[in-house]
Amino acid sequence: MSQIIHVGGTPETFDAFADFFDGQTAKKHRVRLNIENDGGPDMVLLITLPDDTVLRWPVGDIRLLRDQAANDGIVLRMFDNAMARLVIRDDPATQRGLIARCPNLNKRAMVKGWLRIATWAFGAVASVAVIILVLIPIMADQLAELLPAKGEQAFGESTFEQIRSGLDETGLAPLRICDNTAGIIALNRLRFKLEEQADLPYPLTVHVLDYDMVNAFALPGGQIVFFRGLIDAAQTPEEIASVFAHEMGHVVHRDPTRIALRSVGSIGVLGLLFGDFAGGSVVLFLTGQMVEASYTKEAEALADDFAHATLAKAGISPIGLATFFERLSDGNEEPNGLMKHFMDHPAMIDRIAKAKQAALAAGDFAPAMTAQEWTAFQQICKE
Amino acid sequence: MPTTNITTEFVGRRGHLFWLSLKTSILTLLTLGFYRFWAKTRIRRFYWSAVRPGGHPLEYVGEPVEKLLGFLIAVVILAFYVGVINLLLMFASFSLFQQNTFAYVISFVGVLPILFYARYRARRYILARTRWRGMRFGLTKGAWGYAWRAMLHWLLTIATLGIMYPRQAFYLEKYLTDHTTYGSAQLHQGGRWQMLYPYMWWVIIATALSGLTIWGVVSETLDAKDLWLLLILIPAALASFIRFKVQAFRLMANQKTAGGISLRSDPKTGKIIRYYLLGYTLIGVFFLAYFMALGFTVVFAFPDCMQDGQFSPATCSNAYDLPTWVMTAISVVIYFLTFILWSVLKHVLVTLPVFRHYAETLEINGAMNLRHVTQSTHDEFTEAEGFSDALDLGAAI
Repeated sequence: MSQIIHVGGTPETFDAFADFFDGQTAKKHRVRLNIENDGGPDMVLLITLPDDTVLRWPVGDIRLLRDQAANDGIVLRMFDNAMARLVIRDDPATQRGLIARCPNLNKRAMVKGWLRIATWAFGAVASVAVIILVLIPIMADQLAELLPAKGEQAFGESTFEQIRSGLDETGLAPLRICDNTAGIIALNRLRFKLEEQADLPYPLTVHVLDYDMVNAFALPGGQIVFFRGLIDAAQTPEEIASVFAHEMGHVVHRDPTRIALRSVGSIGVLGLLFGDFAGGSVVLFLTGQMVEASYTKEAEALADDFAHATLAKAGISPIGLATFFERLSDGNEEPNGLMKHFMDHPAMIDRIAKAKQAALAAGDFAPAMTAQEWTAFQQICKE
Repeated sequence: MPTTNITTEFVGRRGHLFWLSLKTSILTLLTLGFYRFWAKTRIRRFYWSAVRPGGHPLEYVGEPVEKLLGFLIAVVILAFYVGVINLLLMFASFSLFQQNTFAYVISFVGVLPILFYARYRARRYILARTRWRGMRFGLTKGAWGYAWRAMLHWLLTIATLGIMYPRQAFYLEKYLTDHTTYGSAQLHQGGRWQMLYPYMWWVIIATALSGLTIWGVVSETLDAKDLWLLLILIPAALASFIRFKVQAFRLMANQKTAGGISLRSDPKTGKIIRYYLLGYTLIGVFFLAYFMALGFTVVFAFPDCMQDGQFSPATCSNAYDLPTWVMTAISVVIYFLTFILWSVLKHVLVTLPVFRHYAETLEINGAMNLRHVTQSTHDEFTEAEGFSDALDLGAAI
C-alpha cells in the first residue's frame, strides 16, 4: 500500500462525480470524488455525499467487482466486502484515473473458514468411504443370502442387459448375443453335463457375447457370460469347461449377487459426488464391477475347488484350467484384455498346480465336447 | 428520484458470455468438476450485472467457497440416504416383484420432498446473495412448507390430468413471492389463479387432441397415416405451453407489489418462441457440422482407424502405433468437449436472448418509494445451494 503510482508526469487534479449506494438504503447518492495525497504514499479516495459527509477510502483497499457484463463503466467496493458501492459510468477519464491510482483492484479476498471446509471435506470423504467400503458391503453380503431365487434371477437379467448396453461401443444397439444354432446346441450339452452335478435353485443361463475381450464372468441368478475373445483363445473344450465350472462355483456361492448389490448401493453415492455428467457413468461403473469382478482370494479358491469337484464328477479333465492360464500368462498369445480375476492373482501358480493335481487324482476322462461339437462351438458367433 | 416509472436495460453481450462460459467450462473439466462452484459464480455475476433496472445493475455476491462447503455438507447428509436406502429398495423390489421399477418409483417419490426442499433452499441462497442499489434480496424460511405444498399441488395436477396446473403454478409462485423480501420491503403476490386460465385452454386442447390421435391409431379407429396430425398437434401443444409460461410470468409479475413499488412486465410469446427455435436450430446446425468434421477427420486423415466401416479404437491404436491410453484420452476429451460446446452454445444462443427479453420488457412503477427501502440483515446460510447441487437440479443459470 505504500506503493507510489506515477500517472504520466505530474498527475492532474482528480475531481469527478459518480453514483453511490451506501448499503443502508436503496437511495442513490450523487457524490463528488477527490484524491487526498495524490501521487503520495497514502492516497485516499474522498467521497463527498450530498450532505457534505466525507467517506475516506484508502486506494489500496479499493476492489473492483469482477465478471461484470458492462463495458461502459466500473463498480468499486471496499475490500472488507462492505455494502457500499461506487458506480462510475460513461466517464472513461475518471475510470482510467481511478484504475491507475488503485493498486489492488483485482486482489482476491483471503478465503475465510478453510478449517471449516477442510473439516466438512474430511467428513464427506469419510462418510462416503464408510458407506461404500463398510456399510454397503456388509449389507450386500447379508442381503445376497436373503434374496429369493426368483428375485436373484430377475436381478441377473437386468444386470445382463445393462452390461450389454454398457459394453457397446457404437452407441447404437446392445452387444450382440451369439446364436449360431449348432454352437448353441454344443454349449447346452456342456451346460447339462455340468448343471447335473450341482444343486442350484435356478437353471443356469449361458450367453456368448460378441466381444473381443478374453473374459468370462458370472452374474446373479445363475447367469454365466463368455466373451467371444475367450472362445477364440481357448484351444480345447476342456479349457472352456473348466472356466465354465469355475464361474458356476461363483454362482453357487452367490459371489456375483454380492458384487452386484454392492454396485447398486455405491452407484448412487458416487453419482452424488461426481455428478452424473452424461448419465452414462452409472452403467459403465456397473459394467466394470461385474466384468472385471474382483473376488476375494477365498472366493476364488472356493470356486476353483468347486470347479475341480464338478468337472471330476462330470468326467471332464480339470487340466483345462491349468493349460489355459499357463498359456495366457506365458504371453505368447497376446490376449486383448485379460481375465483380471484370474491373471492378476498372486496365487496363480498355486492354482495351476492345484488344477494339475486334481487332474492326476481324478482318473479317466471323456472329452468335454466331441470334435464336431467343438468346431460348431468355436463358430457360435458366425451369423 | 427523477422518475417514478423505470425501465430495465440489458447490457450483456454474447461474445463476452461465450468466452467466460467456455473458459470456466474448460477449467471445470480440467479440475474434475471442482471449478464448477467458481464457474457458476462467475456466470451468475455476468448475468446479474447485465440486468439494469433503472440503469443500476443487479449484483451477485455469492462466493464459490460457500458453494463448495454447502456441497460437502449435502454429500454428508445425502450419501447415507442414496446409498443405504437405494440398496434396500432395490433388494425389496427384486425380492417382492422380481423387477426394479418398484425401487425406482419409490426412490423417486421418496426423493421428491427433498427435491422441492432443495429447490426452495437454492432460491433462498441465490436471493440472499442478490443485491440491487445496495439492498439485499431475501427469502424467509419455509422450505418444508414449500415442499409439502408442492407435493399436494402436483398430486392434484396429476389427478386432474393437468387441468389444475395453472392453480399449482399460481399458488407455488405466490408462496415464493410472499416469502421474498427486498431490503426492508416485503413482496406480495396479488391476483387469482383463474386469471391464468385463458392461456391454458390451448394447451389442454392441443394436448388432448394429440392424445386422442395416438389413442385412435393404437385402437385402430384411425388409420396409421393419420399420425401426420401429430406433426401439427405436438408443436402446437409445445408452443401453447410456452405461451402459457410466458403469459403466466407476465400476469403474475404485474400483480407483484412491495411497499408501493410494483412491476410491469410485457414479454412477447412470439419472440420467446423465435429465440428458442432460432437458438436450437443454430445449435443443431453447428453440431451437424461438428460431427461431420469429426467423421471426415477420421475417415480421411486416419483411414486405418476404420474397421468394417466403423471407427474402432483398437484398430486405430494398432495402425498408428499409439498406446491405448492416448486413444482413450482423445476419446474422453472429445466426449466432454461435446458437452462443453453444447452448454456454452445454449448459454449464448438460447439462455441469454430469453433472459434479455424478459429483462428488457420489465418496468418498475412507483420507484420513488425505493427511497424508503432500508437494508435487511445478512442471511448466513451455511449450506448454500448444496442440496440442489448434489441432486443435480439443473437450474438454467
